[in-house]
Amino acid sequence: MTWRAAALLAVGALTLPAWPAPFVGVAVMTGVVLLLCALDFGLAAPLRGLTAERDGDRSVRLGETATVTVQLHNASGRTLHAQIRDAWVPSAGAQPDVPPDRVVHVPAGDVAALPSRLTPTRRGDRPAVALTVRSLGPLGLAFRQRTGRPPTPPWTLRVLPRFDSRRHLPEKLSRLRVIDGTQVGQGRGAGTEFDTLHEYVPGDDVRSIDWRASARRAEVLVRTWRPERDRRLVCVLDTGRTSAVLLGDEPRLDASIDAALLLTALAARAGDRVDVLAADAVSRASIGGAERPAQWPRLAHALAPLQPALVETDFQLIAGELLRRHRPRSLVVLLTSLEPGALGSGLLPVLPRLAARHRVLVAAAQDPVLTALTSTPPRHPRDAYNAAAAWRTLAERDRLTAALARYDVAVVDVPAPRLAPALADTYLRLKATGRL
Amino acid sequence: MSAPRVRRRRHRILIPVLLSALVVITTLVTHAIDQPNQTDAGFLSPLSTGDDGGSRLAAGLAERGVQVRRETDTLAALRAARSGPATLFVPAPQLLHPQTVDDLNLLPGHTRLVLVDPPRRVLDAAGMPLRPAGRRWAARAVAPHLTGPCALPEVTGATAAVARQRYAPTGPPGSVDLCYSAGLARLPGAAENVVVGASDPFRNGRIGEWDNELFATALLATTGRVLWLDLDGPAPPPPTPSTVRTTPPSEPDGGPYDEPDDDQGDPGAGDSTETTPAAPPGGNASGSGGPGREQTSNPLWSAFPPWFWALLAQLVLAALLIAVARARRFGPPTPEPLPVTVPAAETVFGRARLYHQAKAHQSAAEVLRAAAKDRLGRRLHLPADTPDVAAVVAAETGEHPDTVRDLLHGDAPDTDQELLELAKDLDRTARDPRPSPVRPPLPRSEGDPR
Repeated sequence: MTWRAAALLAVGALTLPAWPAPFVGVAVMTGVVLLLCALDFGLAAPLRGLTAERDGDRSVRLGETATVTVQLHNASGRTLHAQIRDAWVPSAGAQPDVPPDRVVHVPAGDVAALPSRLTPTRRGDRPAVALTVRSLGPLGLAFRQRTGRPPTPPWTLRVLPRFDSRRHLPEKLSRLRVIDGTQVGQGRGAGTEFDTLHEYVPGDDVRSIDWRASARRAEVLVRTWRPERDRRLVCVLDTGRTSAVLLGDEPRLDASIDAALLLTALAARAGDRVDVLAADAVSRASIGGAERPAQWPRLAHALAPLQPALVETDFQLIAGELLRRHRPRSLVVLLTSLEPGALGSGLLPVLPRLAARHRVLVAAAQDPVLTALTSTPPRHPRDAYNAAAAWRTLAERDRLTAALARYDVAVVDVPAPRLAPALADTYLRLKATGRL
Repeated sequence: MSAPRVRRRRHRILIPVLLSALVVITTLVTHAIDQPNQTDAGFLSPLSTGDDGGSRLAAGLAERGVQVRRETDTLAALRAARSGPATLFVPAPQLLHPQTVDDLNLLPGHTRLVLVDPPRRVLDAAGMPLRPAGRRWAARAVAPHLTGPCALPEVTGATAAVARQRYAPTGPPGSVDLCYSAGLARLPGAAENVVVGASDPFRNGRIGEWDNELFATALLATTGRVLWLDLDGPAPPPPTPSTVRTTPPSEPDGGPYDEPDDDQGDPGAGDSTETTPAAPPGGNASGSGGPGREQTSNPLWSAFPPWFWALLAQLVLAALLIAVARARRFGPPTPEPLPVTVPAAETVFGRARLYHQAKAHQSAAEVLRAAAKDRLGRRLHLPADTPDVAAVVAAETGEHPDTVRDLLHGDAPDTDQELLELAKDLDRTARDPRPSPVRPPLPRSEGDPR
């Protein structure tokens, strides 16, 4: 039954003054309208003969637009006049090309393509929820509609992180090439890994003369070094309660993911092996062996659906995982927050074992509110109390940093937008000085 | 801390507004209760002894030897007025039926008609050259000759609460005499009409005040006979002209029935015989309208043609169809779990509020001073164990060493204001005079292990 049936009845009501017996007229007209509705319902294309399929984009970067198309195949013997609603979750930002209130006509045996443009507003998996087909009769008085007919074709659009820090990548890569010594012609680069022997020419570092090799040959030979390759790097993402804190308009986890993506892109280009582990009370994601740049998209896919959980992070679990799975010495980058409560009781007890095997780097995105509280002059007694609380938090953080430094743990603590480049710089510095 | 303050500020505005609203409403309600309505049961009835009744007035008239006759039907009262000089007292003109108001003009000479606070429609229908001109909040007691000589010699000297509704003449000058600062209007003619703007002088509750009783009895006693029209509700329509003409011969024998006083009240008995041709007994005015209507079905049905009702029914059916059409939703709603987020610096603000509520001036000052010393030490590159930071700072900034020492090591502040002053001074002293690209909380140990 549609509004047209009601409109027909209402228009018919205007003829009532002309009827000799008005109440008989009401009964007759109502009966006729109901009969027409029944007829229309019978003539509507049956839903049983419809099948729906989807194709289109499987993933999209946050802020860009993807297109997913529903192919509606009309296998029934009649022409389909239908309104179609393809419902996605609200954060998928679906904008159907054919609005749900427009009637689509599909001849028998034909296929209708119904594209939807999706501009998601959040990272993660955005599923399609329901496809509803309302098959109208030829008069448009009645329709057939039934849940699950045709069955909704499942589809999930994976929304990748925006990865704003990719604009830093060319600059960091060029610095990496300088360290590698492949681009700038200052001879072979610095490093600790033996590369080749070559004949001494004036200007070479005399400390690099390989006396043993020189003794075997007539000329003086010099060793050249290059940065280590095939090092191991483990990125640990803390998805516990501290990662849910909003820094600006993004949770801390998004800043951590951004930094991890830049670091892994850089490290994969530098020839290091990167593993990524995300955990809070349980392990959320574990991606191993992103060695080649081609594998980097796989990592972005795996990190996209991570969401903060309101639980305390189990550093015991993380340390156990790191010690069990990563036997050789690696650089462990802990992307977490410098919160004395969470790290003091969680990380510090397991840190000695971890630091004995691996080199540990703690990277944390700073809360910009703290900076604002401590740097603006107070105007109200409340501001003074806020400043006192902020300074106290910073002092506790300093104490934590000092405690971490005792275990030879490096700390990167910068405001959220600068976390990714700062972490990349730290990585490059460690690589250049051969301390990986 | 801010939420209760906002609430208190809101109270500061809300409480006076609510109080004044309460006062206004109380006044209005009290006034509405205090001012009786002409349609109230027992309003100015000679039988009613309540505050709004007229039993004291009836008794006062009887004391003066005036014959009081209570009438409950307009036509009967008009007929009774023809039998000799009389005063027709209508305390509730609002209840008069519009068709009978015209008949008030037909009163014979030597008759006085007293209307109490008649509405405009009655004035217009009775053809009186008067219009209402301003109404007071409550009746005011005034002297009769306040605005000019009064044409009613019998009320001379009686200061009464008459001035509530004021009147203005609409006809030629001289057609209306106004007394009591226009609260009372006298229209001379064959039958003298008197319009009184307030019911207060006649009511039991007010008749004892001022000279109200004198005024009321004097006004009504001039003819020696008072026909008191006591209507219990809106008067029924008068009978059709043919019946009116046929009734007068039949009624005089059954009609006159004196009710000299209110204590022998048997209102229905006398009237029932007179009014049978027109309508059922008038003892109960509202009841008299009922039985006549109930004989047929609701007249609303016949007021419109049948197709109108059919059209209405069909439109209702159409609305029902719209409801049916809208009831089926187009697919289910789409739920979505939202990601958890925690507001930025939640714990910092929480701690700050704790400090504030506990008035922890001392702790806050200690933290601020320690932070300032730390910042100064970093800015001036002082070793961690510098004995006298204040002296170095004073040398740097040019302030007196004792001032700086007092700032860095002085007494704890006692009030919020002192703490604010301290925080401002510390911030000014510790702030780097040169604008620095690095914000005060420096990125600590970026990269290199300590």
